[in-house]
Amino acid sequence: MIVHAHREPREPVRVVVLGARGFIGSALMTRLVGAHLRCLAVSSTEVDLTLPEAPERLARLLNPGDAVVMLSALTPDKGRDLATVMNNLAMMRHLCAALEKKPCAHLVYFSSDAVYSFASGLVNEETPACPQDLYGAMHHTRELMAKSLAGTPLLILRPTLVYGEKDTHNAYGPNRFRRAAEKDGRIQLFGGGEEMRDHIHVDDVAELALRCLRHRSTGTLNLATGRSTSFHDVARILAKRFSRPVEIASAPRASPITHRHYDVTNLIKAFPGYRFRSLEDGNG
Amino acid sequence: MTPPVLGFAGLTHLGLVSAVCAAEKGFEVIGFDASGNTQPVSEPDLDRLRTKNAKRLRLTARTQDLSACDVIYVAPDVPTDDAGRSDLAPIDALLEQVFAAARPDAVIVVLSQVPPGFTRRKQRPGRLLYYQVETLIFGRAVERALQPERYIVGCADPAQPLPPGYRAFLEAHGCPILPMRYESAELAKISINMFLVSSVSTANTLAELCERIGADWSEISPALKLDRRIGPHAYLAPGLGIAGGNLERDLATVCRFADELGTDAGVVRAWLANSRHRRDWALRTLHRELLSRHGEPVIAVLGLAYKQDTHSTKNSPSLALLAHLHDFELRVYDPVVTAAASAHPRSHGARSALEACEGADALVVMTPWKQFAALDPAEAARRMRGRLLLDPYGVLDAVRCRDAGFTYYTLGVGA
Repeated sequence: MIVHAHREPREPVRVVVLGARGFIGSALMTRLVGAHLRCLAVSSTEVDLTLPEAPERLARLLNPGDAVVMLSALTPDKGRDLATVMNNLAMMRHLCAALEKKPCAHLVYFSSDAVYSFASGLVNEETPACPQDLYGAMHHTRELMAKSLAGTPLLILRPTLVYGEKDTHNAYGPNRFRRAAEKDGRIQLFGGGEEMRDHIHVDDVAELALRCLRHRSTGTLNLATGRSTSFHDVARILAKRFSRPVEIASAPRASPITHRHYDVTNLIKAFPGYRFRSLEDGNG
Repeated sequence: MTPPVLGFAGLTHLGLVSAVCAAEKGFEVIGFDASGNTQPVSEPDLDRLRTKNAKRLRLTARTQDLSACDVIYVAPDVPTDDAGRSDLAPIDALLEQVFAAARPDAVIVVLSQVPPGFTRRKQRPGRLLYYQVETLIFGRAVERALQPERYIVGCADPAQPLPPGYRAFLEAHGCPILPMRYESAELAKISINMFLVSSVSTANTLAELCERIGADWSEISPALKLDRRIGPHAYLAPGLGIAGGNLERDLATVCRFADELGTDAGVVRAWLANSRHRRDWALRTLHRELLSRHGEPVIAVLGLAYKQDTHSTKNSPSLALLAHLHDFELRVYDPVVTAAASAHPRSHGARSALEACEGADALVVMTPWKQFAALDPAEAARRMRGRLLLDPYGVLDAVRCRDAGFTYYTLGVGA
């Protein structure tokens, strides 16, 4: 659940986006620039948050009225080992150190739905965080690190599976399916693709983040649409978009079937009437 | 034996209804409230009985008048906060006043909802103090007070007989009397409510599944009521979570005691989570079917009270819904509660259910007042701009609504 500090939206003085070159970061920058907000895009080229000198360098870039969006992370495709976890935690430690030197007006931390276990089929913000892998544990730890910054208005966003054409991660789901259909004319599912998942378009993630910035929202919010679709149906929707036939094939399942649905009541309350792109619209 | 004179201290909902019903049973009654007034209470038959028994029912603001009573019920409504925690300060103060005013041989009975341990802490040497379970149901309070199923009486020592005057009053109702120790009676009250909540929560959980799976809960629940282990009076009607304040108070009390004493209350917390989830059924359905599709929707809302036949809006699902519709234009009607209670910046208070429908894109029936059943769906449709109808409690006839062109949603059935 989140609380809006500004009941009516106001433009932030400046938005500093850390991890601005990533999949979500790029979409967010596009949206912020489109909305004519003052922004500062920071990627690992400007400040490598894993390095010991990062706090000093970042602090020099920050102003007191800034809203800081933390998107920098080494995603699972870069590694799932302990070294990756420790690097991710170092990045957050350095951000916290920078914000202790130069406090900001609003911190938005992009976490992940990996903080939840699959024990609960229906998830909302009250569902206890119970990460089942190092990546989820890393995000949960980074959330707690952000919360330790006394006096900083903090928003934690937990996006579910994010898709969009420019995704670079190629994780199992719409992005990989689309590329496979394009390249091979074939989408391969695990088992029958029965697993239900909530897929949110990256532009919806960017739009909702912008609205949170304008309201200076605090608390925790899941970024999900509230509508789950099986991987099989996702593949079917994507296959329909190609003029040539696309085969939907099955490979042996590596793990048991799990489902995830989101109760997005809190998002509806925070942003009444918000309209999500559908999978059909969002895969054009 | 001369019939006892009864006193009722604290004339809010519980105290007033109890006093009027005791007078209806033929007893002389003194009602005490320091304010000198009774609060406005809407209950079927209450005003008629109050007028009918005016000669036996004397209201006073002077505590010393209670010295005429043989049995004094201490019966103020105990307020709760948003977390369901009781504020016991008012009843503590009132009980002290009653102890001071009552004759030494008078029986004092705590009727309000108090946590386990309360009555024994208030016991003092030489006084006759009891705790009696009340099972008031908003909207059926008079009926329940005149025809109780049983009396549960908490005693300092249940082996001792009840004082004659107190027993005479209870026996006038012709139902079983169950004396037990204070703590058992206090927990018995909570136990009753816990079983009600468990039934409602189970019904709500399965009703939601019905909505997705193509089943109809209204077809299932009669079958359950024929099962002797469940019973014909079981609370199986799906609803918009737990409301009214009293059940929430007991849930909070059980969680607090369980946490303090190291017992498991996981299922109670699950009921609370389910209640919160189901309370927002109308908001989620409205969002999915209208708010995320329509630029400037107008929504007609029938009902503000937390249930029918009451003025109470405590934890009302209707007000909970309206709190999240501030961006939208509303047309609101309730037979008892005024639109101002919604504190909604864009609500128009209609004078009738039909007037509320004028120009609306959706009609939402949030309180199951009987009179809403008389609404003609075809006439409502003629006055509305849209054809979305949310009727969680099934007040309207689903077939007639669909025939009138509505997309009709109710709890426990898919659209």
